[in-house]
Amino acid sequence: MSGYSQSEPLARTAPMEASVRKGATPVSQSHRLPGDGIIDRRSPLQFSFDGKTMTGFAGDTLASALVANGVKLVGRSFKYHRPRGIVTAGSEEPSALVEMRTGARREPNTRATTQELYDGLIANSQNRWPSLRRDLMSINQLFAPIFVAGFYYKTFMWPAKFWEAIYEPMIRRAAGLGKSAELPDPDHYDKAWAHCDVLVVGAGPAGLSAALAAGRAGSRVILVEEDTLIGGRLLSDGGEIDGLDAREWLRGAARELVSLPNVRIMTRTALFGVYDGGTYAALERVSDNVAMPDRHQVRQRIWRIIAKRSVVTAGAIERPIVFSGNDRPGVMMASAVRTYVNRFAALPGKRVALFTNNDDGWRTVETIERAGAHVVAVIDPRHEVPAQYQRLVDTYDLRVLAGVVSDVKGGVDGVRSIVVTNDRNGLTQRIDTDCLAVSGGWNPNVGLSCFHRGKPTWREDIAAFVPGNAPKGMATAGAANGELSLGACLREGHGAGARAAAECGAAGKPGEASKADEEVYAIAPLWHVKGKGKAFVDFQHDVTASDVTLAQREGFESVEHLKRYTTLGMATDQGKTSNINGLAIMAEATGRTIPETGTTIYRPPYAPVAIGAFAGHHRDENFHATRLTPSHHWAAKQGAVFVDTGLWKRAQWYPRAGEKDWLESVTREVLAVRNGVGFCDVSTLGKVDVRGADAGVFLDRVYINAFSSLAVGKARYGLMLREDGIVMDDGTTSRLAEDHYFLTTTTAKAGPVMQHLEFCRQVLFPELDVQLTSATDQWAQFSIAGPNTRKLLQALADPSEDLTNEGFPFMGAREVKLRGGVTARLFRISFSGEMAFEISVPARYGAAMAENLMIAGRPYGVTPYGTEALGVMRIEKGHVAGPELNGTTTVDDLGLGKMMSKKKDFIGRVMAGREALTAPNRQVVVGIKPVDRTRRLRSGAHVIPKRAVPGPQTDQGYVTSVCFSPMLDQWIGLGLVERGRERIGEIVRITDPLRTEDYEAEICSPVFYDPEGVRQRG
Amino acid sequence: MADFSWNTQSPLQQALVPGRHGGAGTHMGVTLEEVRGVSLVQVMARRGRTAETIKAAKKLFNVEPPDTPRAVSGRNATLIWSGPDQFIVLSARQTDDQFARLTEAFAGVASLSDQSDGRCLIRIAGSGARQALAKFSSLDLHDSVFPAGAAATTAVDHSAVNFWREPGSVDENAVFNMLVFTSFADSLWHTILDSCLEYGVQASVAHAA
Repeated sequence: MSGYSQSEPLARTAPMEASVRKGATPVSQSHRLPGDGIIDRRSPLQFSFDGKTMTGFAGDTLASALVANGVKLVGRSFKYHRPRGIVTAGSEEPSALVEMRTGARREPNTRATTQELYDGLIANSQNRWPSLRRDLMSINQLFAPIFVAGFYYKTFMWPAKFWEAIYEPMIRRAAGLGKSAELPDPDHYDKAWAHCDVLVVGAGPAGLSAALAAGRAGSRVILVEEDTLIGGRLLSDGGEIDGLDAREWLRGAARELVSLPNVRIMTRTALFGVYDGGTYAALERVSDNVAMPDRHQVRQRIWRIIAKRSVVTAGAIERPIVFSGNDRPGVMMASAVRTYVNRFAALPGKRVALFTNNDDGWRTVETIERAGAHVVAVIDPRHEVPAQYQRLVDTYDLRVLAGVVSDVKGGVDGVRSIVVTNDRNGLTQRIDTDCLAVSGGWNPNVGLSCFHRGKPTWREDIAAFVPGNAPKGMATAGAANGELSLGACLREGHGAGARAAAECGAAGKPGEASKADEEVYAIAPLWHVKGKGKAFVDFQHDVTASDVTLAQREGFESVEHLKRYTTLGMATDQGKTSNINGLAIMAEATGRTIPETGTTIYRPPYAPVAIGAFAGHHRDENFHATRLTPSHHWAAKQGAVFVDTGLWKRAQWYPRAGEKDWLESVTREVLAVRNGVGFCDVSTLGKVDVRGADAGVFLDRVYINAFSSLAVGKARYGLMLREDGIVMDDGTTSRLAEDHYFLTTTTAKAGPVMQHLEFCRQVLFPELDVQLTSATDQWAQFSIAGPNTRKLLQALADPSEDLTNEGFPFMGAREVKLRGGVTARLFRISFSGEMAFEISVPARYGAAMAENLMIAGRPYGVTPYGTEALGVMRIEKGHVAGPELNGTTTVDDLGLGKMMSKKKDFIGRVMAGREALTAPNRQVVVGIKPVDRTRRLRSGAHVIPKRAVPGPQTDQGYVTSVCFSPMLDQWIGLGLVERGRERIGEIVRITDPLRTEDYEAEICSPVFYDPEGVRQRG
Repeated sequence: MADFSWNTQSPLQQALVPGRHGGAGTHMGVTLEEVRGVSLVQVMARRGRTAETIKAAKKLFNVEPPDTPRAVSGRNATLIWSGPDQFIVLSARQTDDQFARLTEAFAGVASLSDQSDGRCLIRIAGSGARQALAKFSSLDLHDSVFPAGAAATTAVDHSAVNFWREPGSVDENAVFNMLVFTSFADSLWHTILDSCLEYGVQASVAHAA
């Protein structure tokens, strides 16, 4: 672990980022209104779009600032490169997607409608070349008739290999959705948990009511809101609540919520997932509103919110109508027009036409007229002015046309005129306009309530889906529940909040619900105006109405097929504005109703989430936690090269000046051990304290060999099997007292073995008196090996300790006193085949032990060695390790069959006797050495008979472990070879198709070095 | 004959740099300290000997060991629940062999395992402590859920941690203790410190008293 932390900037800091050209005369805010939007006119901000410097105000989004500057064209579409503008004012935006920032912070597909404006903001349009106004790729439009659904699949089929090499890269260059940064992200992200009784999702009128009710009742409440401000539609549509102007009521509600210590308001936080057990996920855009996060601050943060109850008051999304030219810049949702005017004091058009099939759309008239602009026509297919809006017709002398908008004329500068067709008599007329406001009705936000496979239900009166079976613990209220009037939102939100609080056991009073008018909302569904031009359903993926009907004609009638065939709803907006229109058109084409046609499955995330946010803190050095051995810092000081072994960092070898490669260092270390003495930190081995009256009986059942018969003060090598008879792990276990064993495992299996032992103790043998504790981290353990080991230890140990062969025989284990007053545990065991001991001291003495071993061994040339030398020596000695204990081998495969006790039962005994596990032709561990002594053996190479042709039929096994043996002066290895022990001395063929090597080798005993074991007993 | 010194080394010897880290102003929202010189003994009742184990503990520490996830202060020791019929005895390390002394006191009724070197004790407090903890601990630390003396066996960065709120520590003075595995300590310290930086951190070494 290096000292990396957030306090020090990462090495990969962003290169110089482009900056807004200060001093350039900004474009004036030609479409900014004098009215009182929720922007701070005292805080002007400069920003740049496509290199053009403009100004906006604090409180603006990028989209509202562009509207205020009269910008209509903001991007080119995905497939046809059609000019596109801003369609909505919220997170559902399917069209105004821009590239934010530059350099390492460049981020494509950012919704201009949710991006807060900040001073120095740099944004660029995407999908255009060389410039937005003059996009050469827009020639795709000329070929539009062939770019229909399934076009790519149909056209680029043959030859198949061309797909990856030519077609796909070409299509991706032509289409694409902006370019991501090519440099590592310099920002930080993290994840955090939050807990509450009642989670309220969305801070519109319903959500505020719910939070107030639950908060007053005394529940712990979290109110999340994706916007920067709470208020929802109140910020855009106003109204009157409890006799107050909506904004004034909102200020009061905010004051009360803030005064409640049990209520937490989280703005800029979008709830995107609903998971099991009341777990919710939300994304907080902590620093997206500044050019660069503050020092020590993250860019974004993912919240995992654990809530007993949730109230989803996520509102509704206004639905477009599908008609020719409905994607022209300047065609905007009616509610968005009102938001830009009322909230941001930015005017999308000066001569606005309104196309609405419902009462709510009519609100737009007053907004436009009061802003000093003009409504040139209201087109309503219902052939009747809603009674409550008749006064508008009179006041503003409105031109009301019964019929539909059948075409929109315009180009890169936006809408110029619309064609209105009277659907009863077919007469058409052209109306000049610079902005067409559209309302096709409202779709309640059912996504969150459907994430557990809930099916939304159809409500005929509002022509929309409403939540069906919401997940356990979740209630929906307000517009999200299909209640579209302000009065109903306040009433329902309050009720849901109060109920949720009561269900959580809150005893306080929720107070009274605020009151407002429950306006009439009438609608005559209109999905699609048939016509000749392209009529878009999904703006982001360029899916048209004719694509939907084509899919139907070609048999893709199910909504799930429709989605995949046309890519409808598969863009980053997940079809928030397009799915319902698409399936309504499909319903019409198939003669079914909309509910019969059904919806696609809703899945998280509700809004796009950057992968970086999901990774959080876990990247680079922090990708996972790291474990250090007690001598780690000492080894680092010696210049050790470390290797990742699971989570551990282990010293791999200790290079010395002048050594040309790792092999030279490792060979030196091996020879130093074999000829003198060396030591290696083996603290990573798993260690378990096994205590209790039945400890021995317990071990007899988990190991294949006996341990109850082991004498106190002795160690024994043990093997344990899985229930299925395959070898699980090995290690030495010592008996330190009558009722105390000290068990060791391999490094890799320490965790799984501990789990297995606990399972055996708690579930299989609860009658035994045995207690287990992991002691892996308690002890610093070193292996000391080589002919001079005893001399070294005698220098270190108290003179009273007898370390002779008689006083401390092979496989002995006991405590010894060391000079200087420390007590250690000493085990006479050997992995290297040399005279060896393992010594352990409490971990706090680990570094001192390494230093003292160096001092005590100095006269004998003591050498610290790493895991590579350890590996070389175990292969020379034929000891099996991970590559052989690989989850497929039996005890007999490893050549350890004799260890298996016949006198007792143990885990895995019965299953180990299965036919296939005892078959005579099993692959067993053998030694392998190339006939040509200069050849390098590589693990993974296959073993086949000498003159056989390589192939699955002739394959007889493979090389598992290799090393260069300094003792044999050649490469050697262990392998698993069919009937290997019967074939010692046979010359076989080693074939390695991966590295195109082919050579002969001899099968030999796996014990290459000191087969009689004289050295380790010496 | 050579002289051998046995200097002890904390697993945070390198990671812990005492002093101020992070933050913008002078305000230090979090205090983070490693408590060194502790004795930790895992006590597990032998099969069917829970009552005797509790009795022996009561006699030694003048308090019953907790039988639910809590930490209790006793005579010269804190007893922390760590599982059914087991608890951890935390005390300041003495010059004599505490482990041997406890082993004798619990002889025959409980199995003991010395964990003094197997864990590292990290203590976090301050006005920003709960916010910082929310980034690496999934626990709900609200007073109503995790009052003074509450304990949990939980995980930080997928590594097992014994976690408890110091008995008697209330309101803004709440102190949270974490026993982390020694080998993970360096790595977890970085994670914890990184999580605290935005609030300003005072890092220090304390010695158990």
